Amino acid sequence: MTTNKIEIKNLTVNYIENKRSFNALHDVSFGVGNGEFVSVIGASGCGKSTLLSVLEGLRQPVGGSVEIDGSQLHGTGTERGVVFQHYSLFPWMTTRKNIEFGIKQARHDIKRSERTRIAEDFLNKVGLNGFGSKYPSQLSGGMQQRAAIARALAMDTDILLMDEPFSAIDAKNRVILQELLLKLWEGDGTEPRKTVVFVTHDIDEAILLSDKIVVLTAHPGTVNEIVRVPFERPRNREQLVKTDEYGKFRNKLLSLLYNDIAERIGGDEVVL
Amino acid sequence: MTLQKRYLRITHLLFIALLLIQLLPTRSTKEVFTNSLIIFAVGVEVIVLIASTFIKNEKSLALLLDIAGFIYTVLGIWTLATAKFNVLNDMLFPAPGKVISQFVEDRSTIVTNIISSLGTTFKGFIIAAVIAIPLGLFIGWSARVGSAATYISKFFSSIPPIVYIPYGIALLPTFKSVSVFVIFLATFWPVFAGTMSGVLGVDKKIIDSAKVLNVSKPEMLFSVILPASLQQIFLGCNQGLSVSFILLTSAEMIGARDGMGYYVKYYSDFGDYTRTITGLLVIGFVVIAVTFLFNKLQNHLLRWKK
Repeated sequence: MTTNKIEIKNLTVNYIENKRSFNALHDVSFGVGNGEFVSVIGASGCGKSTLLSVLEGLRQPVGGSVEIDGSQLHGTGTERGVVFQHYSLFPWMTTRKNIEFGIKQARHDIKRSERTRIAEDFLNKVGLNGFGSKYPSQLSGGMQQRAAIARALAMDTDILLMDEPFSAIDAKNRVILQELLLKLWEGDGTEPRKTVVFVTHDIDEAILLSDKIVVLTAHPGTVNEIVRVPFERPRNREQLVKTDEYGKFRNKLLSLLYNDIAERIGGDEVVL
Repeated sequence: MTLQKRYLRITHLLFIALLLIQLLPTRSTKEVFTNSLIIFAVGVEVIVLIASTFIKNEKSLALLLDIAGFIYTVLGIWTLATAKFNVLNDMLFPAPGKVISQFVEDRSTIVTNIISSLGTTFKGFIIAAVIAIPLGLFIGWSARVGSAATYISKFFSSIPPIVYIPYGIALLPTFKSVSVFVIFLATFWPVFAGTMSGVLGVDKKIIDSAKVLNVSKPEMLFSVILPASLQQIFLGCNQGLSVSFILLTSAEMIGARDGMGYYVKYYSDFGDYTRTITGLLVIGFVVIAVTFLFNKLQNHLLRWKK
């Protein structure tokens, strides 16, 4: 019996490119608990986005399985909300319409007027009040991702899948968005937290947000190690990064990510 | 903008020059209707002055003034060549005032003919668009048939639709329906091909984004694929529309009983070149007006693009 919300078992995914098949993910297994925030990190090309596209239902594995609430995953589903790096929003809909459209897809029973109210509510939550009538092309990259997060949250799905949502955002806004996501996800304790699978290559982002970090190695993508993040919630970035534990934990992750480099240097101290 | 920039323009000088030209002695043996020309020119000038007061954008004001200046220049040269120095054959080349007064005299016939022409065009065009767009969406979306359909539509759109006219006359009961049929064919293939190339070119990320929202098949086609390929569809529509006018006027000259093409053909058969030129100019204005409105519609529907 499993108590995990998402159970990934021996997942193997092949890509076909130029008529040649190559192995993107090999025998990947891990579980994501209910209400857990799990980050998947790894160097580019390690298959972390491929892993997420299987969870999204956009790609079929050649081996292994994904179970959600104990039942096998088939294709896309409305119990999962997704935020991509680009083009989560439809460019021909205003921000508000985009959110309303998402709500309509995920929750058929909600009336139109109610959808508008929920959309407005979530626009406020992500700090986009007054931008509801703007088209995505009229917003900055950071604001577009705020709107995409607002849509995913407004859909009120149990599971949230995020594929490098902040990678294309400048450093300053990325920090602001990470803190916004942290605040929204942690909530005020009145509502159950959502189960999140978050793909990133940013170690600090992964530590700040996650309960658990899955480190992948490339060619083919396999799980190198699964690390539990030892820091208490609610978290505060400024206080967190000052502690010695943070530095040690960060170094540990770095050496896991770049283990071959660390071995070559031959020490525990990895400076990158 | 300063007052000088607003009102002290060379266009107004051209307007005064045009009026002064009218003071020269008339040498044409035919009637030249100087008054009609003066009223028309004053009308244009009044519109230009009113617009100069209200237009805020410097570029659009310059555009308007340039166009007005061009009109005054053409009218000036035309007057000189016909009414004033009579260097052109006054049988073939009426004075501008005569064309203007002819237009005023024939205005109700002209309006009837315009309505008839536009009605035919829109019927053919709209029937074609209503069939071609959904069909293009369906076929473009089912990728296997899609590429074959691209070649097939290329084949059919390479046949100049005007060659269907003789066959259409044999097939269809009225000449009107032949015109609608030919315009339908002229619009159908470019719109169909444009829709399909639009569908095939939709960014995969947008389709993924729709898939993870679990959209239904009709929603995928009409709420996602349709808006995402709208620009290409409009490209096809624009092509269809411009070909439609060419075909319509050609068809009307072949065998219609009304329409602008018929008006031009009918009066040139009688050697009434004043009415012929009036008809030509009216067709130009109508086509420009329709294209302008269609572009407005396009810009409105694509306002979400950068």
